[in-house]
Amino acid sequence: MDTTLFRPDDVPWRPVSPALTTRRRIVLCGPLAVVGVLLLVAAVVAVPAGASAPVAAGLGAAAALVLGAAAATWAWAERNRRSWGHAEAEDDLLVTSGVMFRRLVVVPYGRVQFVDVEAGPVERRLGIARVTLHTASTETASTIPGLLADEARALRDRLTDLGQARDGGV
Amino acid sequence: MAESERVDETALRRGRRTHPLTGLVQGGLWAGAAIAAIGASYLQGDRWDGVPWWVALLVVVGGGLVVGEVAGFVSWAVTRYVVDDTEVRLDTGLLTTRSRRAAFERIQAVDVAEPLLARLAGLAEVRVDLAGGEESRLVLRFLPLPEARAMRALLLRRAHGAAPGGGPGAVDRADEELITRVPPQRTLLGAVLSLDLLAALGVLGLLALAALGLDEPLVLLGGLVPVVSWAARLVARRVVAEWGFTLWRTPHGLRIERGLLSLTAQTIPFARVQGVAVVEPLLWRRLGWCRLDVDVAGRGTGEDAEHETTLLPIADRALAAALVDELVPEAAGPDRAGPDAVAHDGEVVRASSRSWPCAPVGWRHRWLRPGRSRVVSSTGWVQRTTSHAPWAKAQSIALRQGPLQRRLGVVTIEVHTPDGPVDVDLHHLASDAAWTTLTAVQARARAARPSAPAGGVLGRGIDAAGELP
Repeated sequence: MDTTLFRPDDVPWRPVSPALTTRRRIVLCGPLAVVGVLLLVAAVVAVPAGASAPVAAGLGAAAALVLGAAAATWAWAERNRRSWGHAEAEDDLLVTSGVMFRRLVVVPYGRVQFVDVEAGPVERRLGIARVTLHTASTETASTIPGLLADEARALRDRLTDLGQARDGGV
Repeated sequence: MAESERVDETALRRGRRTHPLTGLVQGGLWAGAAIAAIGASYLQGDRWDGVPWWVALLVVVGGGLVVGEVAGFVSWAVTRYVVDDTEVRLDTGLLTTRSRRAAFERIQAVDVAEPLLARLAGLAEVRVDLAGGEESRLVLRFLPLPEARAMRALLLRRAHGAAPGGGPGAVDRADEELITRVPPQRTLLGAVLSLDLLAALGVLGLLALAALGLDEPLVLLGGLVPVVSWAARLVARRVVAEWGFTLWRTPHGLRIERGLLSLTAQTIPFARVQGVAVVEPLLWRRLGWCRLDVDVAGRGTGEDAEHETTLLPIADRALAAALVDELVPEAAGPDRAGPDAVAHDGEVVRASSRSWPCAPVGWRHRWLRPGRSRVVSSTGWVQRTTSHAPWAKAQSIALRQGPLQRRLGVVTIEVHTPDGPVDVDLHHLASDAAWTTLTAVQARARAARPSAPAGGVLGRGIDAAGELP
């Protein structure tokens, strides 16, 4: 019951591209790893350079923390990527996401005011894009990250057409 | 309409200046800012060494006045307003000109307000609210009060499609019906009994205890001044803003008039109402009072949002219920929604008792009722908020669950309404009931969608601004 509540199985769910994992690892783990390694190097050279032992220990602890965060983010990226899904039901677009904090948004096609397709430099290189649905409410906050660029554009076009066909007004 | 209130339409077509005193009033406002700025520079002491205090005072006040008034006069001199066959336009600017225009069919509401300084000079501003988000207000400031009223009537007539040069139109004070007027003693009592003030008293009590405990009366004095001034400011602000609060019913919507020093009027078009919330703080419930907040499309995002979204600061339960039913009506008669919805017709969905760790007392007070044409939810026991939103304005629906909620087997359901103070959510509903509730909510919202009137104040499709020629 609980698993199907946020991912009802009577509609075909589409996953997001594995490239999203890569993108998040590059964007999030990359800088963390660099900072962690720098801290580690600092910790190693601290004592020969004349710093006291507690300082070196502190640097080492900070390095361990940052590298740990990088590892956790690395694992999270794939787990979270798998949790994303969207489904085009008869009247609504369903977007599900999250492992720890789960969310299912049901957006009626007629309520979609406009659709954004965005891609940053890393995303463009990986050939993926984000699709954001805007309704009259900002609470909708419905973004699907990591769709293949072609798929994203096709989804936008379908949503725009459906939105016009079923426009119910605000 | 009195003959003296008629507006010279040919002059308007060519463009007119606002009242000459505008420069003085606007300049006065700016002079205040200039005096504050120069005064701050004096107090901080940069390069003012050796200047006697009276010279400094003269420079600060005189300089501020001159700067402000000159700016005010120049801005008046370069401002023109034009009302022609299709739009009202405000041209302004000395070096870069700026032209704000409001097509008549986009006008949502026209109100007359009297800010304090202008009111002293017998002037008023005309605020024209337009369809469409931010920056959608055109303000003519300032006109003499009778002329401002005549201008409001003229603009409303045109917005309703009356041809230029036509006689007095349908807009008249005669068809405005007084709903209620909040008596001053109620405004005062309401402000005194508000929760903010109770919080201040609580802090004072704690301070008194601390002072007694530590045997240091100075602690009490030190805390007294900020707490009392904060509370006084709170009460004063509310009383000043809500003094003489009057609610009128007009053919196009509800009209609010309020203010002690500055007078504000505000129209809430029926079609723009996206939800109403009834707020009942603990102490007010004893007296049978409540506050009504309203979600109006395109309002409530500015600095004065708190007062702009208040429909009625203090109301009786009966009046509140009647107003809610008028603004967000519940349908009677045959049910058009599908079987999914009918199964849950008017049934109250409550928060699960399993959610008590999240809200030990509050969980008993949380419920949601998907009705035929509106959805109602309630939350809070110290301050109870009951939110009503028409299905026709519901956007998307969401389910959420955090780790603790999963442990307890509960989920949160949210009905997303356009932004404003009204939020229809139910926190911590039992997850086995969530799917049926979601289905019912979905079916209701779907049934309401095709019939949603795409209309603004005049019901002529004003909302669909993108489709206008």
